[in-house]
Amino acid sequence: MVKKKRIRLIAEMARKIRAYRELKNRPRESEKYALDYDTMTRPHTRKTLPVLAWQDVRRESRLFSLLSGLRMFGVGHLFTRKSWLTEHPEAPSYWQVTKVKVDYTAEKMTKSPLCVLLFSTGKQESEPKEMDKVMYHDWRLVPKHEEEQFKLYNPVPEPPIRYVSYPPLLRAMLLAQRQKDELGSAAEEPTLPLKRDVLLSKEYFRSQEKKRERQEGTAV
Amino acid sequence: MTYDRRCLLSAAYTDTKLWEEREKDHQNLSLMAALMDRIYDRNFPVSSLTISRFVDNISSREEVDQAEYYLYKFRHSPNCWYLRDWTVHSWVRQCLRYGARDKALHTLKNKVQYGMFPDDFTFNLLIDSFIKNEDFKGACSVVEEVMLQESFNLLTTQILSMYALSSYLATKPELSVSEQRTLGAALLICGLKQDNSTGLSAQLLGCALLGKVEMAAGIHAVFRGMPLMWTPGYLGRALAIMERVAATPGDSKLSKDAVDYLEGLLQDLSSALDSKSSSGEDELGGEEEGKKEEDEDDQAEREKLPLYASRFKELSGQLQSGGKVDPSPLQVLVSSLVQQGLASAEGPDMEQYQRKVGEWEAERQQLIRREKEMRERAEEERQARQAAKAAAQ
Repeated sequence: MVKKKRIRLIAEMARKIRAYRELKNRPRESEKYALDYDTMTRPHTRKTLPVLAWQDVRRESRLFSLLSGLRMFGVGHLFTRKSWLTEHPEAPSYWQVTKVKVDYTAEKMTKSPLCVLLFSTGKQESEPKEMDKVMYHDWRLVPKHEEEQFKLYNPVPEPPIRYVSYPPLLRAMLLAQRQKDELGSAAEEPTLPLKRDVLLSKEYFRSQEKKRERQEGTAV
Repeated sequence: MTYDRRCLLSAAYTDTKLWEEREKDHQNLSLMAALMDRIYDRNFPVSSLTISRFVDNISSREEVDQAEYYLYKFRHSPNCWYLRDWTVHSWVRQCLRYGARDKALHTLKNKVQYGMFPDDFTFNLLIDSFIKNEDFKGACSVVEEVMLQESFNLLTTQILSMYALSSYLATKPELSVSEQRTLGAALLICGLKQDNSTGLSAQLLGCALLGKVEMAAGIHAVFRGMPLMWTPGYLGRALAIMERVAATPGDSKLSKDAVDYLEGLLQDLSSALDSKSSSGEDELGGEEEGKKEEDEDDQAEREKLPLYASRFKELSGQLQSGGKVDPSPLQVLVSSLVQQGLASAEGPDMEQYQRKVGEWEAERQQLIRREKEMRERAEEERQARQAAKAAAQ
C-alpha cells in the first residue's frame, strides 16, 4: 500500500509566506501598464505592443493623464473613447466621472479604476459602474463648451420586434405540452421574438444562478 | 508710460488685509518639517492641516523652496485629494509676497506633480501680478493653465486673460507651433464666454491660429491635451464666426487685425500648398512614407483650402459693407472692455471671496478642533493602557 503521506508543516508555512509575499509585492497598475514610448514595449513584461496600435498610442492619451490635469481629478466631466466615436458616429457614447481612486505611488500618478455613469449609444446606464479599459490610449475629454452639443441626440425609434413561429419539432412539443396542461388551443400560440431581450453577460448569469439557488435552496 | 504700468485689478482686490486678518497659527517650520519627515518615514498619511500650517508659516524665500518639496510629497501621499483650496491660495499669496513668482508658475505648470489647482480668485491675483510686471509671456502661461482647467467663469478672469493675451500678441512674438496652439485655444475658449466684439474677435483669432496648426500638423496635434473639439475644420469655424457676425444685426464687430491675420494666413497656406504640390511630384518616392501618416481628414482639410479662401473673400466683403469691421486693434478693444467692465465686476468677486475666506476659516478651525480631540483621545487611551499594564504586573 502507499505509505502514509508525511505532513510537512514547514513546507505549508513556506507556501503561505510565499503567497503572502506575492500578494504584497504584486505590481501596481502604474508599473504593470507602463510603456516605453520609444520602443513601444512594456518594461514589466518586456512585450511589444501590436503594430496597428502604435499610431493610436502615440497620438491619443490614457484616461488618467487627462484626469490628473483637471481639478478634483475630473469629477463631473465627460470622457469619450475614440473607438466609440468611429463605431457609433451618430449616437453619443460617453462616461461621466463620479468617483476616482488614485494610485499615489507612481510618479506620473496613474489611477485605479473609477466609478462612473455610462451613456452608451444614447441610453443611460442605471447606476454607476466601474470603467474598464481605462489604461487604453483611446480617451478624449469632451470640452465644457461642447458638452451640450455633444449630448444632443435624437434617438431613431426602433422598429417593433417581429415574432416568428418556433421550429416544427419544438412547436409540436410545446403544443402537446399545452394540450396536456389543458390550456386548449384557444390560447395564443407561443412565438419566438427575433430580438434577444436579455443581454447575456456575466451579471445575467450570476443573477440566474442566484435565482436558481433561491428556488432550490442550498444543498444539504 | 504710467498708462502701461497701471495694474488692472484695483488695490482693494489685491489687498492682503482680509487674508492677513485670519487667525494665525504660529508654528515653527523646522519642527513641522521634522514631523512631516517622520510621518513619511513611517508611511502614515500627513494630514492636510499640517501642510496648510506649513504653507501659512512661510517667512522667507528659502522656506518657499522647502514648502514646494513638501507639497510634492503631499501630492504623492494617500491624502493627495484632500489638498485644501486655502492651502493653494495661501501658497500663491506667499510666493507673490516673497517674490517667488516663477516658483508659483513652475508649480502651476506641473500641476500634476504638485496638485496645484487654484480657484478663480487666486488665478486673478496671479495674472494681475504678472501683468503688473509687464511679463506678458508669464501671464499667457497662467492663462494657458486657466484654459486647461476651463475655469473662465468669472468676468474678471475673462477680462484679465484677454488683456494678457492681447498685450502678448501686440508685441508680435515669434510663436512656435505649440505656442500658437495654446494661444489659439486660450483665445477661443475665453472668447466663447464673451458675447461682444472683443469676444468674437478673440474667437476668430483663436480659430485662425488653431486652423494654422491644424494645416501644419494635423488635427490630432491640435486637440491633444487640450479641452478642444476633435472634429476637423477650425478654419471653417473661423469663417462661420465671420458669417454669423455679418448676419446678426447687432452692434458686434470684428477687429480688423483679426480679419487681416486670417487673410494673411489663408494666403500663406495657399501659396505653400501650391509650391508643395508643384515640387511634390519630384519627391513622390520619398514622400510616400510621410504621406501614409497623414490622415484622410487632414488631407480633406487641405483640399478645402481654396474653398476657404474664396469664401473668406466674399465674407470679408460682406463685413466691410455692413460696417462690421472695427479698425481698432484687439488690444484697444480689450482696454475699453477693461475700463468699462472691470470695476463693476470686481465687486461681486470680492464679496464671494470674503464669504469663501469665512468658510475656509470655519473649516480650518474645525480641523484644528478635531485634531485636538483625537490627540486627547489617543492620550487617554495610552494612559489607560499603561494603567492596565501596571495593574497587570
